[in-house]
Amino acid sequence: MKKPVTFEIGWNACINCAACIAVCPHEAGFVSDFDTIAVHTPCDIACLKCEDICPVNAISHTLAKAESGARR
Amino acid sequence: MKETDVVIIGAGPAGCTAARKVAEAGFSVLIVDKRQELGAPIQCSGAVSRHALIENDIYPDPEFIHEAIYGFRIMDGLGAETNIDYRELKPETYGAQSDRQTLGYVVDRRRFDRYLYTQAERAGAEGWLKAEALGYEQSGAEVVVSIRRFNEVNQVKTKVIVGADGLRSQVGKWAGMQTHIKLTELASCLQVIVDGVETDGMLELITGSQTAPGGYGWVFPKGGGYAEVGLGVIAPYTTKTAQQHLDDFMKNSFLSQRFSNAKVLEVQGGGVPLAAPLKKQYADNIILVGDAARHVNPITGGGIHTALSGGRVAADFLNTHLHTETIHDAKAMKRYQDNWLEAVGNQMWRLYKVKKKIFKTKDIVERDVMLYDTMRNYFSPDSEYKKV
Repeated sequence: MKKPVTFEIGWNACINCAACIAVCPHEAGFVSDFDTIAVHTPCDIACLKCEDICPVNAISHTLAKAESGARR
Repeated sequence: MKETDVVIIGAGPAGCTAARKVAEAGFSVLIVDKRQELGAPIQCSGAVSRHALIENDIYPDPEFIHEAIYGFRIMDGLGAETNIDYRELKPETYGAQSDRQTLGYVVDRRRFDRYLYTQAERAGAEGWLKAEALGYEQSGAEVVVSIRRFNEVNQVKTKVIVGADGLRSQVGKWAGMQTHIKLTELASCLQVIVDGVETDGMLELITGSQTAPGGYGWVFPKGGGYAEVGLGVIAPYTTKTAQQHLDDFMKNSFLSQRFSNAKVLEVQGGGVPLAAPLKKQYADNIILVGDAARHVNPITGGGIHTALSGGRVAADFLNTHLHTETIHDAKAMKRYQDNWLEAVGNQMWRLYKVKKKIFKTKDIVERDVMLYDTMRNYFSPDSEYKKV
């Protein structure tokens, strides 16, 4: 299984076209307040389709930090 | 608790038109928008026909007009060009002379949306900005909408909610409507406002997959000597980014000579649904208009005319409905959609089928030819398509 990732949006490049949401397989909807793919919640699917499809290459990701014990 | 006959969520062209016409009929209307400035951020080229304004009782006020439009130039990017200049086709009707008409306009969306909002308020609608609708609950035959305004949550009781909240409609989602849009039907658009590019009162559309796979490119006059240069692409039809396509279009295309002195003044982008209208645009106590209901011309991507008309049809329905009815369930709201289909929707469905046929064609050369021919046909004076 793929490891969960956290997406980051280059807000400066984003044109709010919502292509990332249109391609996203999350059934419940995985969106930010700015009509993009969610940025604060880790994505378990990690298919990276949103990153591939973004017409302005505004999306990148990092491996999500483990939920417990991350605080130090 | 505040009570009002209608709550309209979203103050774009569709919401404001609905608000104005419902208020004019004497019903109480609250129109809310989460933004602090209407029309912004601009996600639209702003082209609209004069007919679309007149038909919806909007005076073409210089307050919002950037430039008058007299025709269309369709180019396929391979040398073919069709000029449809109404100043030449119908010189007795169209022209810049005082006794002649314009065919259409490029409007300033910030001023246009604000103007429509002003007209709604002057007609008696109450407007709230920086007011985000959070959800609703059933309350007998009516509903209570929660609206956060300047971080304070207000409860408003109403009979009908009009969802005019755009492509990513929250209202549609609350009501469980099927609002997901296919990626192959979503155009990602990018445009720049430029200085130093000449225009001649024509909307120029550039079809062809070498310019904009799945969509088209455009050069529109923007008033004051400025122009809009942009394009919309269907992301899965291309491996290049939208800005690479726009860059290529401006620097390495058959038009690049014309853009050689272009200085970019503004960058704008957005998503445009080139999709079918929603099959179901209503639910208990809810109707959808504008982009929220996919009221967008699937061939041209134009959404202002369809938004204005949708807002008018919604208001006409509400004014009749509220006058006589006390039940506002889905069955009662269905009449709105029936009216809409008859006024605009059936024609939009027809255009969608044409569009679908073009993009089902596997051969790209053939597809490009079909799109060019359809665009030429669509904008010609004796077009087989009734304009929407």
